[in-house]
Amino acid sequence: MAESVKSNVRSHCVGTTAVVYASDYLNKLTGERIERECKKQLDSGARALVIDFSDTELVNSIGISILLGIIDIAEKGGALVVFSDVNNETVQLFEMLGLTRHVVLAANEQEALTSLSAPPTQSQAIGH
Amino acid sequence: MKHRRNQQERQILGRVKHGEFIGRTSELERLVAHATKANSPALANGAQGLLILMAPLAGVSELLRQTFDSLFSRREEVIPIYFALPAAETTAVSAAIEFLNTFLLQYIAYRRDEPGLCHASLTLNDLLKLAPAADVEWIEELLEAYNQQRFGEDDRALVRFCLNAPARSFPRDARPFVMFDAVQLGAYADSAVPFALEIVRALKSGGNPFVLAGLRREVLDAMALAGGNLEAHEIMRVGQLGEEDARNLVSSTARRQQVSITEETRDLLVQQLECSPFFINAMLQAAGDKRLPLDSYLACERLYVDELMGGRLNRYFSSVLEHIAPQPQIRAAVVRLLCEATPQGKRSASVESWRKRLKLDSVAVEQLLESLHIHELVNCDGETIDVSGGSNLWRDYLKSRFRLDALREPRALVVADVIADALKRAPQTIAHHYRRAASLPLRELLGKFNSQRVPRSLFDFAAFAENYKGAPLDEVAAGLDEQTELMRLPQVVHTASGVSFSAALRQFGEESTVVAHAFGAGVYTNQNEVVWLVAKLESKLEADAALVGRWLDLLDAVARQSGIVKTQMWLIANEGFSIEASELLRERKAYGSSRQQFDLLIGRLSENSNVTQPADNEDEFQLIFPMGTDNEMLAASAVEQVARRLSFTPEAINQIKTAVVEACINASEHSLSPDRKIYQRFQVQNDRLVITISSRGILPTNITGNGEGEPGPEVESKPQKSDDRRGWGLKLIQTLMDEVEFERVDEGTSLRMTKYLRH
Repeated sequence: MAESVKSNVRSHCVGTTAVVYASDYLNKLTGERIERECKKQLDSGARALVIDFSDTELVNSIGISILLGIIDIAEKGGALVVFSDVNNETVQLFEMLGLTRHVVLAANEQEALTSLSAPPTQSQAIGH
Repeated sequence: MKHRRNQQERQILGRVKHGEFIGRTSELERLVAHATKANSPALANGAQGLLILMAPLAGVSELLRQTFDSLFSRREEVIPIYFALPAAETTAVSAAIEFLNTFLLQYIAYRRDEPGLCHASLTLNDLLKLAPAADVEWIEELLEAYNQQRFGEDDRALVRFCLNAPARSFPRDARPFVMFDAVQLGAYADSAVPFALEIVRALKSGGNPFVLAGLRREVLDAMALAGGNLEAHEIMRVGQLGEEDARNLVSSTARRQQVSITEETRDLLVQQLECSPFFINAMLQAAGDKRLPLDSYLACERLYVDELMGGRLNRYFSSVLEHIAPQPQIRAAVVRLLCEATPQGKRSASVESWRKRLKLDSVAVEQLLESLHIHELVNCDGETIDVSGGSNLWRDYLKSRFRLDALREPRALVVADVIADALKRAPQTIAHHYRRAASLPLRELLGKFNSQRVPRSLFDFAAFAENYKGAPLDEVAAGLDEQTELMRLPQVVHTASGVSFSAALRQFGEESTVVAHAFGAGVYTNQNEVVWLVAKLESKLEADAALVGRWLDLLDAVARQSGIVKTQMWLIANEGFSIEASELLRERKAYGSSRQQFDLLIGRLSENSNVTQPADNEDEFQLIFPMGTDNEMLAASAVEQVARRLSFTPEAINQIKTAVVEACINASEHSLSPDRKIYQRFQVQNDRLVITISSRGILPTNITGNGEGEPGPEVESKPQKSDDRRGWGLKLIQTLMDEVEFERVDEGTSLRMTKYLRH
């Protein structure tokens, strides 16, 4: 399980699932870095993405728009996306902006990976 | 050698203290250096005269008075003499006698080292009594000769005698340096004595360095009349102040006049008064006299209209007009001619048509036009008259005068209309200024091309985005350094705003387009000649193909109209270009760059601070921080600390932080802010926290005060276009906070958000 820290975005692969870690503040700059990393993982053959928000304290609206873009790209490539370890406040924000309709939420990375090994439907949120 | 002003310099003729004399430091140093040529052997065949060619209302009198004070304080051999032609004197003879008196007064004041004498009212005989022993003899001779001339019949000889007084022999340790302020020379145009000619001749024949200052067109005419060779004299051109100096002048004069201003009104005054020291002083003196604070656009415009219709500005323009056309009927006809031409879009008229309308003979019309031309209120080449000259203030004055005098409209109506027009114009004036200030330095960058080699990807957004989108800056820089595909930029030999080539580009602003004539490889052949057509596109998101297509067509049309054969188009959009737009750019062989690429290019071609201000009271906190990467997080951290003190729940604190972050992003994204700062104020009240986020700049057009026009926060179906995914900020803030309101301010935005405590 090789871990990459290039572009300041931490990520690693578990089988065909790429786990990408969001930073403490998700804005335009850090969002684009995650987007770039996700694209790279999908181009490398990843079939599912877990974006882990365990370090993320705050997400702004531009960051959310970039997350929607990542979901788009994954959908087009037939890949699944799970957000893990999102704090309550951020979940509220995602709900406000309708993001939770388009992505699965998991309590933590492990749960996300488990859910992907026996995937539920995309609209079914787990955890929280 | 630079002259450093002595802090102990005495304020003698200067009307402002040395430290408050703003914007003409280099000119002052040059004048002092010129004066000291009296001690230089170079004077024998060097340039003895310094001609100050002043743009109307640029102001030179204070510069000359400050030079006088500086030279007086130095106590060297050079004796400064400053004489301003009085506006009130009506004949050349009386003005010349006044000159003689002033000359002797200032000479003796200097010799006795008694600056106070310069302000005394003394007769020539009084002056003789005060003269130091070394000077008594020549002054006595001078006055004797003067008395003989005075009772003669020859006015011209008397004028010549008086003006030539500084050319007499002086004691070895004294050499006069005459600074002749001829701004009012036009007032003597009808004098029986050719006054301008006599002044120039007297100064030239004196053998001492001198300064002749006046309206540039008038001084040049006077020199030509006197058969003077301009090349024999130094020329100093004095225009309006630079913007920074003008801002300093407004602040300094406001302080001196005890007039309260804000940064916003300061900038408005600078722009509206066109950086003219005369107008700035006039307005602030008026405000000081009336004890009026100028702390809002409305206050400024009210005073402006008062001044224009009955105050200092009115008096100035009226006196110019009365001088140009002393007869009321002719004056009214001139106002009508100047006003009528403008609304019809006519910029020029024939001299013959003016002659017919004014019912004057050719000589009289010529004189009148000459006066208007000298004041740069029209441009006249002898056959046609271009009436588009003069400042905006002059045009406002003319318009109001025309409505009052010619159309006989009620004064109250005219006043109300002028105030309303000025108020409507104020934000546009400031917006134009900010756009100019915030625009990319396109012309400067093109000037630095100079055949240098740079990575090709800096001109190809698609290739750049593929490699570097979202990459850290050091990675981008390293990647560019390693890039082997380089392009050699041309050598740019001339740049101009696209507006100079096509009126169709005016709508985008002067700074948005540039036409740059260049040669590839720095080889000046037809084959290598290429014209770069560069445009900065307004687009918050990636520019799409439709926008790019429109711009390429427009630039193509400009090239065709201008007969430009070989072109290279380069479009710059802040966020770069969509995939389709990038394809179109490639098809049309045009370059496309994002702001980031542009900045990187600047870096390759050439080689912020947090301020916490003390609060007004202990329950209020202020934070000012620069717009920029992640700085909104500083604001969020600060508000978190404040909210904790009030015992907000963690959930509420996070909501407040998110709202503050969004407000800061909005402020950064929406305004062309001149200072690039966000002002944040937290007010702690019993049951609530009130946060105000404001920034200076242009009020965004999509913000109506209630958030209308933005999509709702809840996205029912996932928006497909990236455009639809932006603009959620305001709705998000409204959802997270209990009360949100925009405060109308003169410029920029001020968003007030309240969160109530709920335990």
